[in-house]
Amino acid sequence: MASTSPQNPSVRSASVPQVSIPANEIHVYDAEVGWRNLLPDLQELHKYRFLLRNLVVRDLKVRYKNSVLGVLWSLLNPLLMMVVFSLVFGVLSNNDIRQYSVFFLVGLMPWNFFSGSVLSGANSITGNAHLVKKVYFPRLLLPVAALMSNLVNFFIALAVLVVFLYASGIGLTVHALWVPLLLFTQILFTLGLAFMLGGLHVFYRDIMMILDVLMLAWFFLTPVMYPLSRFGEQVTILGIPFMPAQVMRWLNPMASIIDGYRTVLWGTISSAGHVSAGPAAMDPAYLLRTFVTAMIVLVVGYLVFARRQHLFAEAL
Amino acid sequence: MPAISVRDLGKLYRRYDSNRPRTLQESVIQGMRRLAPQEQFWALRHVEFDVERGIIVGVIGSNGAGKSTLLRLIGRVGAPDEGEVEVRGRVGSLLDVGIGFHPDLTGRENVYISSVISGLTRNRVHERFNDIVAFAELEEFIDSPLRTYSDGMQMRLGFAVAIHTEPDILLIDEALTVGDMAFQRKCLERVVRFRNQGGAILVVSHDLDLLADLCDHILWLDRGQMAAYGQSAETVEAYVSQSSAT
Repeated sequence: MASTSPQNPSVRSASVPQVSIPANEIHVYDAEVGWRNLLPDLQELHKYRFLLRNLVVRDLKVRYKNSVLGVLWSLLNPLLMMVVFSLVFGVLSNNDIRQYSVFFLVGLMPWNFFSGSVLSGANSITGNAHLVKKVYFPRLLLPVAALMSNLVNFFIALAVLVVFLYASGIGLTVHALWVPLLLFTQILFTLGLAFMLGGLHVFYRDIMMILDVLMLAWFFLTPVMYPLSRFGEQVTILGIPFMPAQVMRWLNPMASIIDGYRTVLWGTISSAGHVSAGPAAMDPAYLLRTFVTAMIVLVVGYLVFARRQHLFAEAL
Repeated sequence: MPAISVRDLGKLYRRYDSNRPRTLQESVIQGMRRLAPQEQFWALRHVEFDVERGIIVGVIGSNGAGKSTLLRLIGRVGAPDEGEVEVRGRVGSLLDVGIGFHPDLTGRENVYISSVISGLTRNRVHERFNDIVAFAELEEFIDSPLRTYSDGMQMRLGFAVAIHTEPDILLIDEALTVGDMAFQRKCLERVVRFRNQGGAILVVSHDLDLLADLCDHILWLDRGQMAAYGQSAETVEAYVSQSSAT
């Protein structure tokens, strides 16, 4: 090869305007993937806050763009779903649970938020491949934006649910003040899964296929259609007292969360069939334990994501 | 201080197509084989150069020489495997025209999203909005969905956004040839003005005449290695004579 040894050419000493570059605009990118790089850069995230907002708005706009009723659908959708479910369960149900349609919807709405967020979070990097491959921005904004656009829909559904609660004579009690805490815990848990699955989906495309089945199984293992107490509060196996409902709470944070929503918005139901008069207080210990689990899932999910994010662009 | 410093930069690509576990099933089956050395090659190696402010650098080389890989590393899309890149200032990349555009959204909505992806604040986009649209000459169509635009219109809008995001460093990959002659000239004028205001620019193109004309320096990449970095005319000449010799 007729190459000369690479040299930097003489620098023009022309009258280039002096521009001072702020220290936070000076970056060094190297091959190190140290622990330092795993921590989220809060200053940078603040800089990109408008991007997060735009990603969420874009999600919502695109979803309803070509429909005649547009954004009205996010209101109509849960409304129609409630009508269908109350008709079905009003006519067909041989269930002895009081106001079963309310019982069901109180669990279904947060569940839909959860499963919708997990699915769009898992798809958030691969679905935005055209962005990830072409331009830098903090990658973690994509799963977060996926969750937030589902959250917006959940808030709309929640408003419909409140109307429904009043229409069915239950209304809201002081116990509804637990809902923000439950929602916060649910968001942390969901975000952890969204990070983990979104990051892994780039490398393993069958995650989506598995998720379809997994979310269905998870739905049936979560007390949405039935009370948590259906698992049985106390059984004795080989002389050891054993509490399946309790085990379910440990294994499945969503069981605890859905049961929490139901307790504070609808009421409780014991395995003996004893139903509380209305919405009741929830046990803070349950929420605290679920919160700790959610935090662990969030940290693990984030680390799985952060350790791989520099490879996203070339793997897509 | 140079706007871009590239030090002993290397990027290793693993050839995944054949033996890469794409699915969990294969991953399990190939669990053992993953330890075996994969076929891999250096898309870039031992690349080292500085770009001062107020300089346009053209990057030339045959296909697969690592030109786009270099731009992507400087634009922080992907991480180096060796060495480092230091950038002093905000990087605007025009690696593709119309980054973040969505066909179902209007031109207006796309301008906002694309600008914000480049790190602009909402207010800043608001201020520059009319300039962007005027530059792209799309005033009449700005509220129509992007899918009704022709390719040329989309490219004009994309270029207009990129040039108005006011970066300190601009990376351009084959995007200077958008639109008709008049629009091309407008883009080039804009790039030169940006240079004169102290911006540093890296352009990848196969249009050697354009680069020889536009650039202050030329970086010649050959199979991931630096073949030369020097004054435009002579480096292009050396490249042409070497290409025609083989």
